[in-house]
Amino acid sequence: MTQMEDQEKQLEFALASVQKQGVHMKMCLDKNKLMEALKHASAMLAELRTSLLSPKSYYELFMKVTNELCYLDFYLVEEFERGRKVDDLYQIIQYAGNIVPRLYLLITVGLVYIKTNTNLKRDLLKDLVEMCRGVQHPLRGLFLRHYLLQCSKNVLPDIPDNEETEHPEGTVRDSIDFILMNFAEMNKLWVRMQHQGHSREKERREKEREELKILVGTNLVRLSHLDSITLDKYRKVVLPGILEQIVSCRDAIAQEYLMECIIQVFPDEFHLYTLNVFLKSCCELQPSVNVKTIVILMINRLTIFTFHNSNASEVKLFEVLTEQIANIIQSRDLPLEDTVSLQAAMVGLALKCYPDNLDYVDKSLQTISDTFAKRKIEKISHKNPVSRELMALMKLPIDNYNDLLLVMKLKHFPEIIEYFDYTGRKTIAIYLLQNAVQCRTMIPSVEQTEIVLTMVSPLVKDQPDQPVGEEDPEDFAEEQSLLGRFVHHMKADEPDLQFKILMAEREHFSLGGNKRICYTLPPLVFQAYQLALIYSGKRKEDELWEKKCRKIFQFCHQTILELTKAELAELPLRLFLQGALTISQINFKNYETVAYEFYSQAFTLYEEEISESKCQLAAIILLIGTFEKINCFDEENAEPVRTQCALAASKLLKKPDQCRAVAISSHLFWSAQNNVGQPLQDGKRVMDCLKKCVRITKQCMEVSVQVQLFVELLNYYVYFYERGNNNVSVDILNQLIGQIKKEITGLTANEETEQITKHFENTIAYLQNRIESADTEDSVFKALEGLTL
Amino acid sequence: MCSVLVIGDMHVPFRSSGLPAQFKKLLTPGKIQHVLCTGNLCTKEMYEFLKSIANDVHIVRGDFDENLNYPDQKVVNVGQFKVGLCHGHQVIPWGDPESLALLQRQLDVDVLVFGHTHKFDAFELGNKFFLNPGSATGAFNPLNPDIIPSFVVMDIQSSTVVSYVYRLVDDEVKIEKIQYTKK
Repeated sequence: MTQMEDQEKQLEFALASVQKQGVHMKMCLDKNKLMEALKHASAMLAELRTSLLSPKSYYELFMKVTNELCYLDFYLVEEFERGRKVDDLYQIIQYAGNIVPRLYLLITVGLVYIKTNTNLKRDLLKDLVEMCRGVQHPLRGLFLRHYLLQCSKNVLPDIPDNEETEHPEGTVRDSIDFILMNFAEMNKLWVRMQHQGHSREKERREKEREELKILVGTNLVRLSHLDSITLDKYRKVVLPGILEQIVSCRDAIAQEYLMECIIQVFPDEFHLYTLNVFLKSCCELQPSVNVKTIVILMINRLTIFTFHNSNASEVKLFEVLTEQIANIIQSRDLPLEDTVSLQAAMVGLALKCYPDNLDYVDKSLQTISDTFAKRKIEKISHKNPVSRELMALMKLPIDNYNDLLLVMKLKHFPEIIEYFDYTGRKTIAIYLLQNAVQCRTMIPSVEQTEIVLTMVSPLVKDQPDQPVGEEDPEDFAEEQSLLGRFVHHMKADEPDLQFKILMAEREHFSLGGNKRICYTLPPLVFQAYQLALIYSGKRKEDELWEKKCRKIFQFCHQTILELTKAELAELPLRLFLQGALTISQINFKNYETVAYEFYSQAFTLYEEEISESKCQLAAIILLIGTFEKINCFDEENAEPVRTQCALAASKLLKKPDQCRAVAISSHLFWSAQNNVGQPLQDGKRVMDCLKKCVRITKQCMEVSVQVQLFVELLNYYVYFYERGNNNVSVDILNQLIGQIKKEITGLTANEETEQITKHFENTIAYLQNRIESADTEDSVFKALEGLTL
Repeated sequence: MCSVLVIGDMHVPFRSSGLPAQFKKLLTPGKIQHVLCTGNLCTKEMYEFLKSIANDVHIVRGDFDENLNYPDQKVVNVGQFKVGLCHGHQVIPWGDPESLALLQRQLDVDVLVFGHTHKFDAFELGNKFFLNPGSATGAFNPLNPDIIPSFVVMDIQSSTVVSYVYRLVDDEVKIEKIQYTKK
């Protein structure tokens, strides 16, 4: 038989016997044979003498037995109410053979006695709780006393004790004494379980004790239900009584459970005013007791209580806790991570209950800093539990304030960051920036910019303690994008100040190395461009605005050049072009020279650094598109650029690319404006471009490509025709249309051809529509009637 | 009916730190079937955000996108509509209706979606619909000093497109409705 089966068997026997005796007992009671009934009751209760059952099985048996006893209880109450004498019975039972059944019966009868004659309450309760000492077997004793506690539940006196008046029924003081004694005895029994049996069964014993702890704890619950226990009584009698037992039992399991029990069952207001006593006792607990958990539980309870009760502020909660925690740390050899998590609970308290008092949070941070210094700790590995606890602490102010500026007001925050290793510091940096970006926190001064960028330094530049080896490129890109986004948050309202911030940022970002600056410098450049536009708007208020604009663009120029030094080409090219556009919008002194410098830098990058044909095409289109919008150059500067663009377009590697780029460059001679805001509308130069396109197209080997380009060119011709370029004649259009019609029929049918045909049909349909809807006076479209569509 | 989110030119992180909170609240999964993005996202996180709104996401490459996998142009069929998508920095002069019409004829589309100017724009030309959703983050553009963050949701039903334009004016979302019917 296994142990389990054995247990089941034993329990089954015992239950059967209880059942049998119970039935007999009831039958006798029904026949009014009390003495007979008591004999059966005694026999039934004798089953509780067993030592063979586990706590769980014993509990089941106990429940069954006490259930049966209820019948006896009802009977007795009824009898006594009818006038039967109780004291006889109480005497008779005293002679019951065995102690366990005898005490159960005494409790049952005793309580009936109390109910019918309340004057005896005080003495009888005292009597009963004393008598229970007779059972010293832990399991039996615990349940017996549990029975006593259960039966006395509704009769415990709950009247305030007043020295002047006599209360024969007893006062709350009697109840307290009663429960405290029962509690002390039960705890002793419970603790004694630990020392029974063989040492190899320690684990099983501890499990059994765990199952029984609630029996001991119920005493405290009962105490907490006594309404007449005032704060004063609690402080003077109840708490010292409980703590005395807890401390003196010198048993870690009991201490840990019961201390938590106190916190859970008594009102928070009591805790608030007895905090010193409670925490002092914590110092005296066994070394293996997890005091940290107890104290944190207490702090968290009081945090919520204080948060909801403004009148709780009369107690200097934070100060008291700080002092007592310091004592605990001093008196016990707490692991470092536990001292950190204690401070984390304190920070939680400070943030929730005293949100305006940053000093409290700072104080906790300082305590940690001092502790680390005392223990000569330099760096904490992110794998260390201390790092985990500390990280949780650091996130608290970030999450609670949701305001990076407030976090920065914590003087000791940055120095704590320094204790983390690279991974830890980077985690905090990311957390800080994510919070700032999400909460849209703005950093309005140079000093604060410096502090933030130092705090997030693992993102800004390589760290001396950075582990060698490749970082995950996707993570890296994400982190750097975050830093880039944050650039838009370092912003002052006052432009001069904003410029100083930008310069301070660049100092930091320039140290980031090639892999970082492509994320951090472009946002800086765009912020600078915006700042220049702000100065431009203040031209009437700030007489130095032109000088300042110039300085900003110098700053941008240098910044972009840093990117070119990092062997980037396309990114700086785009930034230079955006700069040229910005400059062209601000009419400051010599702005055309500055714009020209930016544009020519872009062009140089195009010519010297971009070699891949696809990138070349993209870049030249951007150069052309940008130049089309820049209108600050005088003819002397503009003309060579236009020609350069068209020339560069014609020099692309692939013929179709050449054709398309040159066609696009034709806009530079038409809609692009000169420096007095007039569109150029140089019809001849447009024609030169388009003719060149036709020549290039003819050089294409593939017919389908040729036709496609012709259709595209036809559209260009129509575009400029509509815009009034006299050089485009109906003849030219007819020629192109004819050419396309001739070639298009010969194309092999496929998806590409279909697209080309559709494009051509759309163009023809467009022209027809134009002709039909043309006004009689609209000579340009009238003339289109000459088209052979 | 089919709802299409038209959005673009976010320019995160170079020109903006992210979408306005008010827009983020509106742009949640479950309402949108297709996303058409005019490009310049520019980060992967922004792509993932779009992907979280609807599974079917179409993106073309903006001048500041490093991702070479995005095409320059794209044609997407939604219901009875052929919709062309192009960032627009390749169409010169930028934002010029007639130049855009050239592209519309080439792509053979009913609706041409474009961007780059960071300014919401919608017009009909030759019974074709041209739509620029603007910049969803209100990203800086040197040519356009007063930028209003905006995006568009097109509700497409048989031959009609109803465009809802969402604009953030003084921290408040303003919605405007524009209707286009294909003949």
